[in-house]
Amino acid sequence: MPKSISFVGHWQKVTLILWAIALVCFLFSDTEIISLDPWSELQRMIQGLMTPDFFATEYLLEALWQTISFALLGVLGGLIWGAPLALLYSNRFIAAGCAVIRSIHEIFWALIFLQIFGLSPLTGILAIALPYGATFARVFFDILLQSPQSTVETLPARTDRVSRYFYGKISHVMVPILAYIRYRFECALRSSAVLGFIGMPTLGFYLETAFRQGHYHEGAALLILFIALIGSITFWCRPRLIIIYLVLALFTLPSMHSIDASLVWRFLSQDILPPALQGVTDLSQLDLSRINELINWGKSVFFEQAIPGMLVTLLLALSALAMSHLVSVTLSAFAFKRLTGKFFSVVIRLLLLILRSIPEYIFAFIFMLLLGPSMLPAMLALALHNGALIAFLTIKQSDNVVNSSVYNGRIDGYCYDVLPKIYPNLMGLLFYRFEVILRETAIFGMLGVATLGFYIDSGFSEIRYSTALLLMACTALLNILVDMISRQLLRQNTQTALACR
Amino acid sequence: MVKIDNLTLKYADKLAIRQLSLSIASGEKVAIIGPSGSGKSTLLSHLYSLLKERAAFCSQKQGLVDGLSTYHNVYMGALSRHHWTYNLINLIVPFSTPLAEVEALCHQLSLDVPMSKVLSKLSGGQRQRVALARALYQQQATFIGDEPFSALDPLMAEQLLTMVLAGHSTCIIALHDKSGALRHFDRILGLRNGELCLDVTQDALTPELIDNFYSPETLALVSNA
Amino acid sequence: MGLFKMAALVALSSISSSVFAAVFTFTAIPDENESQLRTRFEKVAFYLEKELGVEVKYVPVKSYSAAVTAFRNNQVQLAWFGGLSGVQARRLVPGSEAIAQGNEDQFFQSYFIAHHSAQIIPSDNFPNLNGVTFTFGSKGSTSGRLMPEFFIERNLGKKAKDVFKRIGFSGDHSRTIAQVESGAYQVGALNYKVWETAVENGTVDVNKVKVIWQSPTYPDYQWTVREGVDNTFGDGFKERLTQALLDMDDPELLASFPRKSFVPADNLDYEPIENVAKAIGLID
Repeated sequence: MPKSISFVGHWQKVTLILWAIALVCFLFSDTEIISLDPWSELQRMIQGLMTPDFFATEYLLEALWQTISFALLGVLGGLIWGAPLALLYSNRFIAAGCAVIRSIHEIFWALIFLQIFGLSPLTGILAIALPYGATFARVFFDILLQSPQSTVETLPARTDRVSRYFYGKISHVMVPILAYIRYRFECALRSSAVLGFIGMPTLGFYLETAFRQGHYHEGAALLILFIALIGSITFWCRPRLIIIYLVLALFTLPSMHSIDASLVWRFLSQDILPPALQGVTDLSQLDLSRINELINWGKSVFFEQAIPGMLVTLLLALSALAMSHLVSVTLSAFAFKRLTGKFFSVVIRLLLLILRSIPEYIFAFIFMLLLGPSMLPAMLALALHNGALIAFLTIKQSDNVVNSSVYNGRIDGYCYDVLPKIYPNLMGLLFYRFEVILRETAIFGMLGVATLGFYIDSGFSEIRYSTALLLMACTALLNILVDMISRQLLRQNTQTALACR
Repeated sequence: MVKIDNLTLKYADKLAIRQLSLSIASGEKVAIIGPSGSGKSTLLSHLYSLLKERAAFCSQKQGLVDGLSTYHNVYMGALSRHHWTYNLINLIVPFSTPLAEVEALCHQLSLDVPMSKVLSKLSGGQRQRVALARALYQQQATFIGDEPFSALDPLMAEQLLTMVLAGHSTCIIALHDKSGALRHFDRILGLRNGELCLDVTQDALTPELIDNFYSPETLALVSNA
Repeated sequence: MGLFKMAALVALSSISSSVFAAVFTFTAIPDENESQLRTRFEKVAFYLEKELGVEVKYVPVKSYSAAVTAFRNNQVQLAWFGGLSGVQARRLVPGSEAIAQGNEDQFFQSYFIAHHSAQIIPSDNFPNLNGVTFTFGSKGSTSGRLMPEFFIERNLGKKAKDVFKRIGFSGDHSRTIAQVESGAYQVGALNYKVWETAVENGTVDVNKVKVIWQSPTYPDYQWTVREGVDNTFGDGFKERLTQALLDMDDPELLASFPRKSFVPADNLDYEPIENVAKAIGLID
């Protein structure tokens, strides 16, 4: 026995630990299946999917275009402020600031900006640009770090700093950086659609209404359009056309409501203050009873909402992480051409496209009908979506794996010859994805799963911004903590390609 | 030109060079031989760090940029000769003068690929010649090379070696093999386990000496020591 | 950098803020069918434009809280609010007024519905809901959340979270029906009009879901207008607006809300709602 233990490598250990943790989380989670007869609703849904109605949605082309234009402008905005920050990212404060910004879901950024800018396109674009910029800063920094030192070493001795940087560093990373921007644009399309859920004029606006109100013919049509939009990016998003798109996007933005500086001021000076401090104009008004009230407020928010919310968020995210692992390992094997044959692998690739394009919200929605309102639908939704995304990125690598002469085209051959080569990268992607999973639990809050997102959403809908903001701060803290731990884990044993995450 | 006295160096926490003393005069053509792991690369990069201002270094790591064209990869040897604005513009639109120079240089190296070809599309042998071309394009008086011909066939290797030797007054080149190439050098150094075991001039070099240097018994002897 | 840009934008736009105010803007979310919002309400805008002689624009929103925010920020001057959102909006914008309500909104009701497996017999008395699973509608809804929660607390004598085995927020009245019908929740509460429409259209299987209790009546949806519209759009504007709303008799326009007609209302009509919201702890 001890002999075989010495063969348990680093990644096997990590996998086992991940599964052990997830199992514990799963046991403590609410995964009760409560559903008596979902069939009549499901039948309506399938009927809708069979006969999608592409004409049910008003202003459909406009919504389609706005989805693209918000995504484009959002990514551009993110690049403008995020790319230069990548050069300063080694500064601890900048890194922490970016982590805070990243940790808050686009939807919540949009809800904040909604208070300041109202239903203006600026709200949607900033809600994408802000967290995306913070992500760009971090990823570009990571990519720059990974660029080989050897080029700089062989440059002529008296080369000036600018030339040295551009020829020795930037030129190395341009390919992965461009690939990453392309990938983020796909993500931005999804984000842009999701922002429709709270009122931006994108596809999500109609998609959410259609599903929520049971107009499945319309919903199915929108979903098909959205998947087609994402699946065909390579055809319509040519580098040369981007400039034209950007100009068009700027000119066709919905009319910008004027921004009122007083609204910004009101938000900062009033809205975000806890109830006890509202109306306090100078410090002398801060008497004992107010302070007491403040403490009680903080206590009740923290213990009744933040702590339970964090717990559920963590349970959900960790269980979903292990499930994503399972989904991604399985699907990436199925999609491997030299294992399952050309036809089957193409079918799986199509499935991957569908799974990664559909917003988790829709999955959770369907599973909730099938399985009842526990945490299980949310877990499955997260696992399918993220697992498919990781599998999609993994097969990009496995397609390029050169098989040895002993490869036999069977599952054992795959496990010897391919899996060991792609596994570290897959795990790297999985752990990076954890941050995203954690953030996306927010969406399920809006569906009623009691994650932190649920309480934040309640805060906004009850017009208690201070509560919502305090909870967002807790979210940020949780994310930063997780980020630190995952970095620690990853540092030990990866030189994975960071290009796509 | 350069003098080392009692040098000890570490590479990746292992002792790579032990108490080595050496001096190389200007105009000398020096070959360094020795089995892998003997400390050749460590010694060469140390020599380069001492001679930085006057020498071109063709490292075993090559330091090529996969995403750039062949031309740009070679042009990088000339970065220090131009202002940075010139370099940046050249990165987007190549200037014709250096382009012609680089093309001619590549032709000399029998590297007849389109200058715009992206480096990642080149073969191993072609990549090595790009790295060599970059070092030559630095136009320095001294050439330091770390097995710069290892991926080439012997005929081509010898041809390029004579070119390098003719183009630089001082050459310090590590070679992996004990081929006939050594006869082009004035002086041969043999490294083993970080120690200088052989230091002879061309006249004193005999096949027995080399065989003895590489012989398994002495190898075993040293690695036991 | 982000901050700087924002500051610049704010500075720029506050200069231009006086330019746009001349368009009278309103928003509305109907309690039923939300499809084709713009197409339907742009007809209402057209009607108001004709009656009032100013440019009228409709802004679609997704939720009550978004409507309240838009109202508060003066991006809309008139809104068709639910009972609770109207109270919230008027608290945030002093001087704003409820000017009209739907005919049906004078005596609005919530229905409690149950899946047949829960075996709760329909009755005039409040049912014993201890230990069942229960779903509200959206968090900010009057008929789907506020009033049901109030009746539960008043009749069962404890907080809703202590009554039920599991509480959910379906997000929408039609979802409440779907979730109770599928058995995901045993009991749910919703807007009575949505239920009646669903029964009429046959989109709910009445063998599986039954109404088990009908709440007492309370005031619900209303038109609320901001203070100061008279200054911007001319003296007597508020009065003319009220009249235009009350005079709306085109069935196609009224069907968008959907209401039979509009009748006068004022802020006092909604005092009960405000008191209930305070009792529940939804407003401070």
